[in-house]
Amino acid sequence: MRRLIENRFGMLALVLIALAAVYGVAFASRPAPVAPVRAEPVRAPIASVSTVCPDPGGAMVTAVTPPNVGGAGQTFIDDGDDPFTMDEPGKLWQKTMPAGTDPIRVHATGAMASGLEAAQTRRALSGEARGLAGVRCVDPGAAAWFVGPGPAAGELKLHLANVESAPADVALVVYSGEGQVIADRASGLILKPGEHRTVDLKTVAPSPLVMALNVSTGRGRVAAAVEAATPEGVDWLPQTTEPARRVVVPGVPGSAGRRELYVAAPGDQDAIVQIKAVLKDGSYALENREDVEVPAGSVATLDLSTGVTGQPAAIVLTSDVPVVGGLKIIGTGSRTDVAYTAGAPSIDLGSVVADARSTKAVTSRLILSAPDKAADVTVTLLPREGDAPEPIEVAIPAQRTKEIILKGSAKGFSVVVTPKAGSGPVYGGRVMEERVSGGQLVTAQPLAVARTWTLVPKATEAPSVILPPYSS
Amino acid sequence: MHSVTAIVVAHDGSRWLRDTLRAVLAQTRPIDRGVGVDNGSRDGSGALLGEAFGKHSVVQMPRSSGFAEAVHEVVRRLPEAPGQTEWLWVIHDDCAPDPRALELLLHAADEYPETGILGPKLRDWLDRKLLLEVGVTVARSGRRETGLEAREYDQGQHDAEPRGVRDVLAVSTAGMLIRRDVWDELGGLDAKLPLFRDDLDFCWRARAAGHRVLAVTGAVAWHAEASSKRRRRIAASDDHPRRLARRYSLFVLMANLPFWTMLWSMARNTVGSLIRTVLFLVAKQPAHAVDELAAIGSVLVHPLRLHRARKARKRSRAGYALVKPMFSPPILAFRRAWEMVQNQLSGGGPMDSAGRHHAVQLPGAEEGDELLNDDDGFLRRTFASPGVRLFVLLTAVAIAAERDLLAGGTPGGFLGGGALVPVAGGASDLWAFYTGEWAPPYVAVLAALSTITFGKTWLAVSILLLGCVPLSGLSAYLATRSFVGYRPARVWLAATYALLPVATGVVASGRIGSAVVFILLPVYASLATKVLADTRKPARRAAWGLGLLLAVGTAFAPILYVFVAVLGLLAAVSFGGVRRGVGGNLLIALGTPLLLLGPWLATIVEDPVRILREAGLPMTSAPTLAPEALLTLNPGGPGAPPIWVTAGLLVVALGALLLRRHQFIVAVGWGVAIVGVLAATVVSRLSTWPGVPLAFAATGLLVSTALAAPRIAEFRQAGGFRRAGAFLVVLVAFATPVAAATLWIMNEAGGPLRRDVRSPLPAIAEANSKPGEGTLLIRTAETGLTYTVLHGRTPVIGESERAAYGSEFTDAVAGLASGRGGSDAAKLAAQGVAFVSVPGPVDPTIRRALDSDPAIARVTLTDRAGLWRMTGRVTPAPVPADGAWHRYWLYGQGALVVVVLILAAPGARPAEAETPEEIPAGRERVAV
Repeated sequence: MRRLIENRFGMLALVLIALAAVYGVAFASRPAPVAPVRAEPVRAPIASVSTVCPDPGGAMVTAVTPPNVGGAGQTFIDDGDDPFTMDEPGKLWQKTMPAGTDPIRVHATGAMASGLEAAQTRRALSGEARGLAGVRCVDPGAAAWFVGPGPAAGELKLHLANVESAPADVALVVYSGEGQVIADRASGLILKPGEHRTVDLKTVAPSPLVMALNVSTGRGRVAAAVEAATPEGVDWLPQTTEPARRVVVPGVPGSAGRRELYVAAPGDQDAIVQIKAVLKDGSYALENREDVEVPAGSVATLDLSTGVTGQPAAIVLTSDVPVVGGLKIIGTGSRTDVAYTAGAPSIDLGSVVADARSTKAVTSRLILSAPDKAADVTVTLLPREGDAPEPIEVAIPAQRTKEIILKGSAKGFSVVVTPKAGSGPVYGGRVMEERVSGGQLVTAQPLAVARTWTLVPKATEAPSVILPPYSS
Repeated sequence: MHSVTAIVVAHDGSRWLRDTLRAVLAQTRPIDRGVGVDNGSRDGSGALLGEAFGKHSVVQMPRSSGFAEAVHEVVRRLPEAPGQTEWLWVIHDDCAPDPRALELLLHAADEYPETGILGPKLRDWLDRKLLLEVGVTVARSGRRETGLEAREYDQGQHDAEPRGVRDVLAVSTAGMLIRRDVWDELGGLDAKLPLFRDDLDFCWRARAAGHRVLAVTGAVAWHAEASSKRRRRIAASDDHPRRLARRYSLFVLMANLPFWTMLWSMARNTVGSLIRTVLFLVAKQPAHAVDELAAIGSVLVHPLRLHRARKARKRSRAGYALVKPMFSPPILAFRRAWEMVQNQLSGGGPMDSAGRHHAVQLPGAEEGDELLNDDDGFLRRTFASPGVRLFVLLTAVAIAAERDLLAGGTPGGFLGGGALVPVAGGASDLWAFYTGEWAPPYVAVLAALSTITFGKTWLAVSILLLGCVPLSGLSAYLATRSFVGYRPARVWLAATYALLPVATGVVASGRIGSAVVFILLPVYASLATKVLADTRKPARRAAWGLGLLLAVGTAFAPILYVFVAVLGLLAAVSFGGVRRGVGGNLLIALGTPLLLLGPWLATIVEDPVRILREAGLPMTSAPTLAPEALLTLNPGGPGAPPIWVTAGLLVVALGALLLRRHQFIVAVGWGVAIVGVLAATVVSRLSTWPGVPLAFAATGLLVSTALAAPRIAEFRQAGGFRRAGAFLVVLVAFATPVAAATLWIMNEAGGPLRRDVRSPLPAIAEANSKPGEGTLLIRTAETGLTYTVLHGRTPVIGESERAAYGSEFTDAVAGLASGRGGSDAAKLAAQGVAFVSVPGPVDPTIRRALDSDPAIARVTLTDRAGLWRMTGRVTPAPVPADGAWHRYWLYGQGALVVVVLILAAPGARPAEAETPEEIPAGRERVAV
């Protein structure tokens, strides 16, 4: 060793051998580059749901929790003098409320919360309120968007309810066909805990014929719903998705009647919105209505009757600027009734519709669209009485819409739509029609994501969160 | 007419007494009477006095008598000489006056009849031209000031013109001429001061009483100062003369000052004494330290003695105004302090002459090397040093490269990013954190550094981190002094080391742990060499120093310890048999960190993965680092230059192997380098940044290479073909630092480290958090959701290493962010979470989830951040209990650090000159 070290070449050779060895070790131990693993969120049942039926007076309220993984839980229906408690999933609760009932809060915990759905449907055969008017009971939230006819076209009532323990500070922004409406009375509505209030939108903005409405809270949360009574009929405006660059308005039924599209661009940029209809046999841009220009802050309408009437459809709106969209469905007959659908999310985690009926006169349609990839869903009916029929499997080819006429209990049933694993995104809506003398009654409800599941992201404690992410 | 009585007091001084008596008797103006006092001499001094003055003129006193007592005894017995001005000429047995001394003294007394006391100019007994005193004054610290430089030769420069007299505060009792009526009026020398400072006290009183005290520069006396230089044993007291001198000087000061001034002086001297004690301890002069403490202590614990002395001086204190102007100027105190520091730096120890009778310093060994202190041309000499030039150059490079980091701050922005926690808070926050709970020990180091930088943590961190390149260059240059003799090679070594990819990577990623280790590494190498190769005492000191610095480095990057321990074991195996004490010293060096960091290291043993972590935020590194990057000492990651930059270094290092020089060290160096690269490979494959092992490897490689450099110089001189070769080698060698510096400047030291990091805690949350309440901070990333909890303020460095919250908490956070409802928010609130903060842009899913949960309410939401508040009851998290064990440990740790510091501090290099050189032990010596 010593002689090796003392020999100049010996030392060099030794060092080179050692370096080569180290290189070899480093080379051999070098792992193959791996792409960073994207943590898949975990599905977890929702443990607590609270929802508010805005104006149940004279309407039938339905509440249901579909059968699920099970466990203990309770649903509490806060019906003023006659509260009701349920603890068995799969059972339908239905009750027609006397007129003038206050908003009802439906609150569920544990197993009963997972999938809880509630809706109110009012049926009037005469008078100003003639028609079918249904609305999914709403979750209290910090923001809500509606699009539909304006106060100049009829009577628009905004129902606000604060069921939280903290006051809510509500602000309204109204967008009309001519642009955003500057209104004094649009902000500073304060709802104390437990307070509910109905705002006539005429007092906020009397002139718009069409409108988009944004209800937001500075603090607290509020349950908001809009009831529109126009000469064409009465119905509730469903909450639409928040402004987005791609909006899918599903649930256009295959029956006859006019269809009118509402598109609003609430930002400060003009939007050019491409319109495509996803129909039974494919997805098309409508002739001469390929796109619509929406000035910043305003609402545009477009009659889609010639392209869409008579076939079940979903309308896909794409734009560089975030937009909201909705659609008016008008029934046939000498006295028309109206229904509204609106932009909705895909029901990846399933959807539940609380109320559907099927009698000789009443037809319930389920319209399912797969605007992107082919989709497979299972449709299960939960009858109010009797055994549940076998689930129906529905396959929707890519860029197609399918309509299913729901045949179930005459007393009413709920519908559970569950996409199968590997299915493409599905959008949908449920439309109920009733043939009565003088004209058809209609109401619609876009499918909302069921409150069954939520995606729990993978969380890790990391002190480096205090730093902004670094990208080289 | 004058009548002069010479009083010669002898105490074991026969060595000098013969000459003294001869000189007294040979005066041109003969003395009228001569009296000798023998304070119990055992060396025949009494007989000598008898021979000179006659047996009846010698007074025998007990051996323990003081000087003042002896003179008092004579004066008491001395009959009056009526009709004449009587004078007492007090002479020490080791003080020989010049033949004309008395004549000139009396001449001055004639000229200035108001004079009470006169004294000659004192020169050294052996070195006859050396000035000792021309009158003395006193500093406010009690220090006896001669106003002379050390070892000043008398060329008449202090002689007063034209009359040859100077008004002074006091003159020495050696050769002091006192008018007898003044003596009687003042009560003479104070017998309570048996030795030292009696002169000062007496003259002070004389001055205060309105008499003049004159130093007559024409009159000369040679004084041996036998007592204070310990040329003889003192019998009047058992204490060391230094302690006596210090005690009496304080006592005299306290006794004579007016009351309030005295109180102030007492406070000031107490503090001063404590500081000096510490300095003495650091210089390892414990005897001095004890003396210093004992002196101030004996004054403070005897208030009655002081009271009596003050009572006796009540009358004379009225004349304080006459004395005050004679004190030495206050600026002198600062000059003395500076001298003390200089002495310490130059290896003389901070010993000053405060306790000495006069200001003669022993010639200290001159520090021949490039220590940066010096007396003349400080700046010139400093900037001539290549080390300083290199430092300045590297600083300029660092400033150019880090221009954005240095200047790009936004108001309210913090320095942070990468591994560095945004540097918020000050030294007091860090101390509070460190003393409040079991915090990682590097917090204490940073807190200490921040205290030095005026409490500004950002400044301390900036110096360490942004100054990493120049500091490591300087440390590499200074530390290699002992083993690389050839200076250009050292400059190359230091520059290359400072600009290694590790250094630029450290800055870019804000790795303060690696930065500290990188700066300290050359020092480790130097100290380790001393431990292995030096003689016993310096090796032991180096071992303690290495242990302490190793503890600091380990606290910042624990992997360092593993590496050093392996190398240390190898060294112990190879050197253990060769040198005695190496094993013990290595044990000290490796054991000190274990001792100083004990409890913290125990937590690391519980969780061994943390060995790979370093101070600050955990920051992983790609495990796929290329093998060629490892071989070229490139750790990869942000701030690392391309591989070719350091390729030249490897080539030169291999080439240097062919020049056979210092084969053994070269072999060791390469050994370290290869082990370092191997360790770096292992560490890198574990997804850890291999900066520390690569720095080790680089040190080994650079030292090996630099040792061969003198051969290159020889080649250059040889000329021709070899000269060209040498030129090429130098070119390649310097290409590495130059290229590294250029690229670094071009890349602007870009990396995750930024200057404008905003506080992660929203101001609203900070303002509204009660103690024990936290803010949950959530960020979405590719790999899911990450979160942490902040406690009421922007976290300080080290707080991020608190214990984790555990999986249940994590599940609750995930649930909260998913919006599943339920009790997640309540669970978090029960752990003290009061706010949920999501830095922008806020993910809409999370926003919806948080908005939909009834248990939390939105406070603000902008595109920059969102903040939610718990609506339910928040249970404040229990404040981490500051257990008694923790407190004991802190005290223990502090004490250990002090002890190790004292053991490691460089001592006074020349041995203390207190041993009486000519005196065989056991025999006693002579004279006052």
